[in-house]
Amino acid sequence: MSAPQINISDVASLARLTLTPDETAKFSAQLTQILGHMETLSQIATGAVPEVTPPAQPALRQDIPTPSLSIEAALSNAPAQANDLILVPRILE
Amino acid sequence: MSLAYETIATLRRRLLSKEIHPRDILKDLFTQIDAREKTLHAYTYLHRESALAAAEKADLSLPLGGIPIALKDNLNTLGDPCTCASKILEGYKAPYDATAVSLLRQAGSILLGRTNMDEFAMGSSTENSALGLTRNPWDPTRIPGGSSGGSAAAVAGRIALAALGSDTGGSIRQPAALCGCVGLKPTYGRVSRYGLVAFASSLDQIGPLTRTVEDSALLLSVLAGHDPRDNTTDLRPPEKFLTQKNGSVQGLRVGLPKEYFLPGMDSETESAIRSAADWFKKNGATLVDVSLPHTPTAIAVYYILATAEASANLARFDGVRYGRRATDARDVLDLYHRTRSEGFGAEVKRRIILGTFVLSQGYADAYYRQAQKVRALLRQDFEKAFTQCDLLLTPTSPEPAFPLGERTQDPLKMYLADVFTISTNLAGNGAISLPCGFTKSNLPIGLQLIGPRFGEETILRAAHAFEQSHDFLQRLPPS
Repeated sequence: MSAPQINISDVASLARLTLTPDETAKFSAQLTQILGHMETLSQIATGAVPEVTPPAQPALRQDIPTPSLSIEAALSNAPAQANDLILVPRILE
Repeated sequence: MSLAYETIATLRRRLLSKEIHPRDILKDLFTQIDAREKTLHAYTYLHRESALAAAEKADLSLPLGGIPIALKDNLNTLGDPCTCASKILEGYKAPYDATAVSLLRQAGSILLGRTNMDEFAMGSSTENSALGLTRNPWDPTRIPGGSSGGSAAAVAGRIALAALGSDTGGSIRQPAALCGCVGLKPTYGRVSRYGLVAFASSLDQIGPLTRTVEDSALLLSVLAGHDPRDNTTDLRPPEKFLTQKNGSVQGLRVGLPKEYFLPGMDSETESAIRSAADWFKKNGATLVDVSLPHTPTAIAVYYILATAEASANLARFDGVRYGRRATDARDVLDLYHRTRSEGFGAEVKRRIILGTFVLSQGYADAYYRQAQKVRALLRQDFEKAFTQCDLLLTPTSPEPAFPLGERTQDPLKMYLADVFTISTNLAGNGAISLPCGFTKSNLPIGLQLIGPRFGEETILRAAHAFEQSHDFLQRLPPS
């Protein structure tokens, strides 16, 4: 497997980022180099190896309500709010 | 001598004997801060007034009563900023305490300030901070390491007694090594991550940066334990570390992984690490040659998995609920794009894009899933090595602190310097870095001791014995 050509603008859009032309050029070159280094992994035989999965959960707590953040505290950092709700720009036309 | 030069253990004894008052410690620390912080820029925020007020009502009966501690600026602390050294968290004030912060408060410590870091802990030099870079106390033209570079520079520069950091791929141990202090990354699951701003959740761990191994054990004893708010924390009962200090390494089997002694590595670093290994042998330990054969893949595995997890974790910074919000957005999608593009720095954007790519359709099998499988092989390497030895002894960093600006345009070269620390995060083990020598140009060199999972007591005992028979602590950075 050779390092793929990464379409930086498409991937950035998936990540909700808009890059400047300078960033696009710089990141394209850098990420091509980084992905080139990652090609070493394709040479490792892993056929029967199971993937590492998230750590086993040692215990789940009882499903009983406990004190949590107040509405006031939870909204204390909201850039815009009204009636205990966070305001965002229009989603539907 | 200024109390800022003392260790926590010594200050606790002096506080309990009423020889000094907590305000005396703060006074000396602030005198040092006023003299050195302008050069070092280790802090992003200082709690001058609240710390002095807390000193007046400190409860000395508690394990850290009256002891000021600094926090990396990615730990939520009620009412304080938590910038993660990013413009995107401008104006944010934490509405709750991280569990580690609660535990420090409950143990009586005084919160001194918040320390600089690479943005969202992404970096190895603290040059990726939107709040300005931090300098190495031993040579201000060089990096302090990262991402907990502010914590390490503060502790080594005698402007903090101790600080908390976080370690995802070496971010406690590497700056500790480069600044000449003690940095402990606990076993994954030892310390709660609740309230630590997440970078890569399967790798992140909070730990202490201190002057001595004894202080490291004191802090770990306070921080360790199960937390119902982080169900990756282990259920074992709380432990007190290093309560027995016999200073012996007699009978200890110390493994030297051959993959950590690379041709072409910095000769002064290699020489200091070989001398440290000789010390263990002379003092009754057995040196064992071991192999961690998948080490050469670790950088690739790490930068796939860590960026994949980061791309998901950092999706929360969207301008909706907290932090920066771009103005005049046309719609909600425009709001996300503009907020994130304006708010994140270059390294964070680079890693989010890489992480998004390795998870994307058509590439996830070749990158993300393959990396998870190789991670399993790396873990098996460690498990096998620990059937032959009790500890692994390695360099922490392949080289001492490098000059500021040297690698900012070459991210791959920056990533490759993490080669000796990241495998421990991928395997989940605990490890410490402690001073083991200096270069001819007076830069500290760090020794790494890696333990089996939950083997912190063995790590701390061996590190303490080594530290006690050397005088690296007596050497101070130029003032």
